[in-house]
Amino acid sequence: MTRLPDLSERRPFREGTFTSRLHDERTAAVLGIALGVSFSICFATGIYSHLAQHPASWFELPARPAGLYRFTQGLHVATGIASIPLLLAKLWVIYPKLFRWPPFTNVANVIERLALFPLIAGGLFMLGSGLANINLWYPWQFSFPVTHYWVAWITIGALVVHVGAKRITTFRALRPRADRVADATEGEEVVDESAALTDRRGFLAGVFATSGLLTLVTVGQTFKPLAPLALLSPRRSDVGPQGFPVNRTARTAGVLESARSPEYRLVVDGRVARPLTLSLDDLRAMAQHSAELPIACVEGWSSSQRWTGVPLVDLLQRAGAHRDAEVRVHSLQQRRSYRTSDVNTTQAHDRDTLLALRVGGEELSIDHGYPLRLIAPNRPGVMQTKWVTRLEVR
Amino acid sequence: MSVDPPPDSSVEPGGAGFWIGAVIGIGIMVFGVMGLLDAAPATQPHQVAFGLLGLDVLHDALVAPLACGVGLILTRLLPRSVRAPVRAGLFASAVVIVVGWAALRSYGRANVPDNHTVDPLNYGTAVLTVLAIVWVAAALWAAVSWLRARPVRATSTQSPLP
Repeated sequence: MTRLPDLSERRPFREGTFTSRLHDERTAAVLGIALGVSFSICFATGIYSHLAQHPASWFELPARPAGLYRFTQGLHVATGIASIPLLLAKLWVIYPKLFRWPPFTNVANVIERLALFPLIAGGLFMLGSGLANINLWYPWQFSFPVTHYWVAWITIGALVVHVGAKRITTFRALRPRADRVADATEGEEVVDESAALTDRRGFLAGVFATSGLLTLVTVGQTFKPLAPLALLSPRRSDVGPQGFPVNRTARTAGVLESARSPEYRLVVDGRVARPLTLSLDDLRAMAQHSAELPIACVEGWSSSQRWTGVPLVDLLQRAGAHRDAEVRVHSLQQRRSYRTSDVNTTQAHDRDTLLALRVGGEELSIDHGYPLRLIAPNRPGVMQTKWVTRLEVR
Repeated sequence: MSVDPPPDSSVEPGGAGFWIGAVIGIGIMVFGVMGLLDAAPATQPHQVAFGLLGLDVLHDALVAPLACGVGLILTRLLPRSVRAPVRAGLFASAVVIVVGWAALRSYGRANVPDNHTVDPLNYGTAVLTVLAIVWVAAALWAAVSWLRARPVRATSTQSPLP
């Protein structure tokens, strides 16, 4: 059996190569806990978004609170951005451990150290790909949402292994100095002189201040009171046709002509007693309802608007649909993803779920879905289907 | 100034807590890997594996040594009292540029040129503004730290009252 060469006396494996006191357990523990919390928030809110877009048999997206999706995805993106400095700082603090020699001492150690690769690489991948996605920048060939979702599971699995391995070290490192001194074994040094404490506080203050600053200059894309500070947001919640952004334009969707055609009709069919074919004038003649609802994008921006149109439930009743009806909403858009979206029973029967004709008192602009778009409480923006032409009752 | 490194007081992994975490965590990782492979070609597993490895190597071979090198230079050049603010200023500047890079280069707008709601700001000015905020804050912090760390000089005492 081949033995590993002894590198313990060679740089960078030699003890003392890294001289900064900041490569210590307490600094690593503080950053580790912050990252554990932020990654858990990102994972939970990401899973929620996934379930909202790909409903499971055991989960039905509720209609209320209306701003729940807006809150969770704003939190998802803000937490992800705030995690970037935390992760980079944490990796710098633990960097000397990369050169520990021998690298493994027992089986548990092998597992713990091997799990660091998916944790570190996965963390960098999740934050990097998420940052690119909010900028609508895709320098790769894979599908962002599918890949981001599955790598999230790999990363969070590695985090669980890491928490199991480091829980005692973290707990020990975070105890007050007096407890650590009292519990130190004979000959064990407890490093925490005032200079080291000042260094650590200064370092952590810089890292957390950077996190806070990034949050301040980006979160305004969804949190209106901070909108004036949103200097690094790739979107502004108040910039766009009719005062809010669009993700896919009518030109990109290829609906410039079909959406403006005098032949435009809305068809209501499927599991109904009386299929309907309605012109734009028919829809305008129906009882109109207005609701203040957010449009919230998975990329982290959102905007609340006053929408006016025909409640979906009124159309379902007029067509004689069942009380448990679900609806597949079809767009005029002929290609690309999100041409259709499904509205579950709860959302379909919410009075504020509208086939909107107007926003902010004006007719919808074509980039916001003219002549007709779906707008419903607590839904991902990509599922607020634009240029609606058919309601398939199921 | 050289400082002795702290001892590595980390506890070797083991015990029931570790093994429970390992079994659950590895199970979740396997679920993720299976999902990634099942969703091919949308997930392009080879490209993802290359990306994961590349990011790790990029960090370990370039970013971290660079950060250590800069830290070492700061330690040698600056008095202890102002190291933390300067280090924080450099770190924040680097992260601000990373976060603002895609908007600064208008990558999103280039991807959807007809969508004027993407990258609507002048990000050159925006990034410079944020960097200015960073360095004003760092300068104030450094000034306060330096003033606090100054040795207190003996002041002239008044003559005792007769």
